[in-house]
Amino acid sequence: MTLPETRDRDRDRDRDRDRAGAGPASPPAARDGFPQLLHAEWTKLRTVPRWGLTLLGGIALTVLISFFSAAGSSVEIADQDRPPVPAGREGQQLVDSVGFAHRALHGDGSITARVSGPAGVEPEQAPEWAKAGLLIRESLTPGADYAALMVTAGHGVRMQSEFARDVPGSAAASPDTPHWLRLTRTGSTVTGYESADGEEWSEVGTVRLADAPEELSVGLFVGSPDITRMERAFGNVTVGQLGSSATADFDEVSIEGGVTARDWRHTDIGGVSPSAGDPGEFRRSGSVFTLTGSGDIGPAPTDTDLAATALNGSQLGLVLIAAVGVLFITAEYRRGMIRTTFTAGPRRGRVLAAKAVVIGAVAFAAGLVAALVSFLLAMPVLRDNGHVPPMFPELALGDAAVLRAVLGTGLLLALIAVLALGLGALTRSTAVSITAVVVVFVLPLILVSTLPLELSQWLQRLTPMAGFAVQQTLPRYGHVERLCLPENACYPQGPWTGLTTLLLYTAAVLALAAWRLRKRDA
Amino acid sequence: MSGPGPGPGPGPGPGARAGARRLGTVHAEWTKLRTLTSTWWLLSAVVGLTVAAGVAVSGSLTAGACPVPAECHEDTVRIGLTGIWLGQGAVIVLAVLAVSGEYGTGTIRAALAAEPRRLRLLAAKALVVGALTAAAGAAAVAGALLAGRRVLAADGFPLPALTEGPVLRAAAGTVLYLVLTALLALGAGAALRDTATAVTAVLAVCYLLPLLAGLVSEPEWQERLLRLAPSTAGLAVQATANLDGLPIGPWPGLAVLTAWTAAALAAGAAVLCTRDV
Amino acid sequence: MDGNEAQIEVRGLRKRFGAVTALDGMSFTVEPGQVTGFVGPNGAGKSTTMRILLGLDRAEEGSALIGGRPYRELRNPLLAVGALLDAAAVHPARRGRDHLLWLAHSHRLPARRVDEVIEQTGLGPAARRRAGGYSLGMRQRLGIAAALLGDPPVLLFDEPVNGLDPEGIRWMRGLLRSLAAQGRAVLVSSHLMSELEGTADHLVVIGRGRVLADTSVRELLAGASGDRVEVRTGEPDRDRAMTVLADAGATVAATGRGTLTVSGLDAQRVVALLGGAGVAFSGVAAHRATLEEAYMELTREAAEFAAGPSGPSGPSGPSGPASGEDRR
Repeated sequence: MTLPETRDRDRDRDRDRDRAGAGPASPPAARDGFPQLLHAEWTKLRTVPRWGLTLLGGIALTVLISFFSAAGSSVEIADQDRPPVPAGREGQQLVDSVGFAHRALHGDGSITARVSGPAGVEPEQAPEWAKAGLLIRESLTPGADYAALMVTAGHGVRMQSEFARDVPGSAAASPDTPHWLRLTRTGSTVTGYESADGEEWSEVGTVRLADAPEELSVGLFVGSPDITRMERAFGNVTVGQLGSSATADFDEVSIEGGVTARDWRHTDIGGVSPSAGDPGEFRRSGSVFTLTGSGDIGPAPTDTDLAATALNGSQLGLVLIAAVGVLFITAEYRRGMIRTTFTAGPRRGRVLAAKAVVIGAVAFAAGLVAALVSFLLAMPVLRDNGHVPPMFPELALGDAAVLRAVLGTGLLLALIAVLALGLGALTRSTAVSITAVVVVFVLPLILVSTLPLELSQWLQRLTPMAGFAVQQTLPRYGHVERLCLPENACYPQGPWTGLTTLLLYTAAVLALAAWRLRKRDA
Repeated sequence: MSGPGPGPGPGPGPGARAGARRLGTVHAEWTKLRTLTSTWWLLSAVVGLTVAAGVAVSGSLTAGACPVPAECHEDTVRIGLTGIWLGQGAVIVLAVLAVSGEYGTGTIRAALAAEPRRLRLLAAKALVVGALTAAAGAAAVAGALLAGRRVLAADGFPLPALTEGPVLRAAAGTVLYLVLTALLALGAGAALRDTATAVTAVLAVCYLLPLLAGLVSEPEWQERLLRLAPSTAGLAVQATANLDGLPIGPWPGLAVLTAWTAAALAAGAAVLCTRDV
Repeated sequence: MDGNEAQIEVRGLRKRFGAVTALDGMSFTVEPGQVTGFVGPNGAGKSTTMRILLGLDRAEEGSALIGGRPYRELRNPLLAVGALLDAAAVHPARRGRDHLLWLAHSHRLPARRVDEVIEQTGLGPAARRRAGGYSLGMRQRLGIAAALLGDPPVLLFDEPVNGLDPEGIRWMRGLLRSLAAQGRAVLVSSHLMSELEGTADHLVVIGRGRVLADTSVRELLAGASGDRVEVRTGEPDRDRAMTVLADAGATVAATGRGTLTVSGLDAQRVVALLGGAGVAFSGVAAHRATLEEAYMELTREAAEFAAGPSGPSGPSGPSGPASGEDRR
């Protein structure tokens, strides 16, 4: 560094700072290097107490808002009459209620049937994930281990197990044409086969049942998940779960192996679904079995992303951090200091790069601290307010998803600060740049809950706010229809996809700014 | 020498000249704004952003959740005016800079030398910025409504007539909203003087408070915030349907915004009148 | 215009910024028809006084009147006072002419007047360019054009020659002289006395917030100890010359080798006296005190007080920083 240490610092600290990066031309070799540029920019940033305070304010605002929004949250138990929700092995919430016509199978064996369906119960149409097929369960208790092979209304043949696992079979199978299915049990392994004609069979998948007992329930099942009805008008969202039913015909039903009970029994697993209202129905006429049922077997994810809630103060904190990013360059233009800066580092693109690295690193550190403190403070409050398993997942800082969200928040704020810097270099106007950052990031966050859903989701995908997707921690299941509403901080794309979108914006703005810097006079 | 200390001399005679001078300050403020190209860029941005966003939002309404457009109980007027959220950003920049820019460049001293009565200077600024905002706001609202209607009509949505009371209220109220927001920003600029501080403060009030309302899950607090935040309260005036579902009524909402604006202007006037420049 | 209108009257101004006393009972008047220099080292209170005169700052005590009125009560301030405070205070994105235009509009002055002052200050075609690209000299001219806009009887210039080239400085001096010759009261501040030499008729010398001297340039020079005449005479005539000159009221000192240093009489009078008494002399040289010397002498006391242990470093050496006083 070629800092003029001899200057009378007390007299005019401002001017001193102005020249901090500019030193006299004594050792020209030393000031050419990028590390020197970085050092100079870091000194500039560090020596303006106001900027440091603003960054601290950004951290404080993030933590405060996260904490208070966690403190103000509460869980409403909508339906107390419902039996306790079944929980999976990791404590997650499940849904396990279908219509099941079954017999007991002792030891190895297999079940085969030709399925026609599922079809909706007139006049309603069956939802896409209505399903009809074969099911092997360890018991009739909700939450028991199972293997299911089915024809779905909209997604072809699937083989599902462990609630979260879903293996696609032939996509061509439709509920309108009968389709052959077979489940074979060998020890604790269940293998699924399908066939269009009952002669040529192909394997769909294999499921290993954990500690399977000798005697299992095998049979036919029909399920039809609840339809989510949503009315959304300017901030008011009414979400209603509407039960649905589906029906299917099974013929050519055969069970091979040690069938102990002679008769078919019908059970509504998990009791009669309260949203469906009507109990399922099982009819036999000759060799044709007709089964009507409701419900689903699968995960029942919550809408509330606890980690995202614990981090949502960053939506406000970003404004102060972005303001520092903007001022880091526009302040130089206003005081004419940019000329000094460019005299010290004549290669302007590199000066901008050095500024970007410095403000990005500082914003990342600030964001990381803010995210860590927010998460650690807000999570216990959320838990105290009733966000506990099984309705909500138990989150710890060590979880991969949580780590991603916390680190991602640091990256998010770093990218926002660099984007703000780029805007400042591009417009040279403090007011315009700060406003642009707020409008670009905060406005979509306000509007997504009031705009039409489709437009909101496009905003989430395409505007820089996509970066906030990195804060999501809820697992996504392809085989469960889930409402992904912007007001629940649910983004249609994955976490890293979202952050990459923001990264592309930042890179584009920075490149444009560098190009403009080179073209224009300082 | 003019005798021993005249003290606070007798005020100037009211005369016609003084009246003409007061208009002179307004004229000077108008010249000041007019001669900066940024003013015209910002005003174009108000109109352009508002209309473009209105069209985009109206156009997206087709694929809504409701099967038949006619049965959608969407407030089409309000949706068409959503772009105000973007346009007000440009208004805020314009109004804040009208004052803080003078401090930043030092022209405030020339301005006060030309008009030493500081309240009059602030009033002249408010008048000119308000009038420009009103003109741009009227163009923006008219453009957004008309363009939005074309888009919505093409999609088969039923449209209320433009002369219906609620539609007129929404249109006039939105222009008024923009003017009040501009004056809020102007007052903040005069009170805080520094561009970055003033812009951030106004943006926080206009954008972060509504966002905060969205983050608060306690419904009572959320409602309270929506009622108190100047932008959400003020924009209640855009509603033409389902008024009962609003957190605050159209005119009371504008009154809330007016209170914010009055407070900002009062703070600005107090700082301007008491502090050295 | 009547004389009262073209007068500045400052009475007992007091102001402090935090712990620093900026003005400590500042009082002076500026009369029309002459250029009054307002001189003092940096931080003496020149700019603060001018800001108070213009109603920009408030004094804690005292009054600052222009034409008998505080600035804030002036009906048409730009027609009463023209001021150049900070030449850099122009919006960089505004054209020079537009800057003058808004000032003109504030007082209902015609656009023709704007073009007149542009002509008068030699701004010329630069007036159509954005002020952000102006050199310091052009900004200075723009600021002066703004001050002249209302054709005011009172003019305040804070460090007007800052940033001007030699040609510009000459132009500025001529302008100041001609403005005074038109009967206006012209107050020009400077921290360099040399800048005022040959321009100012009257001087208000200040230091540490108070007036050290309020005097005409002639009196200041005459009173300065540096104003002396050196007389060279032969050895025999020296005592005689001393007697003659001392009798005429001068202070005479023999500095050896046939040279007498005479103060209190001008050279012409010395020649006449010596000639009348028949004293032979080989030469008379008038050594005029420069304004600078007179000023240094005046401010030395105040400066020593201010400079503290660092010693009597000249308060106004030409090497001093050329920036205006900065109170913030």
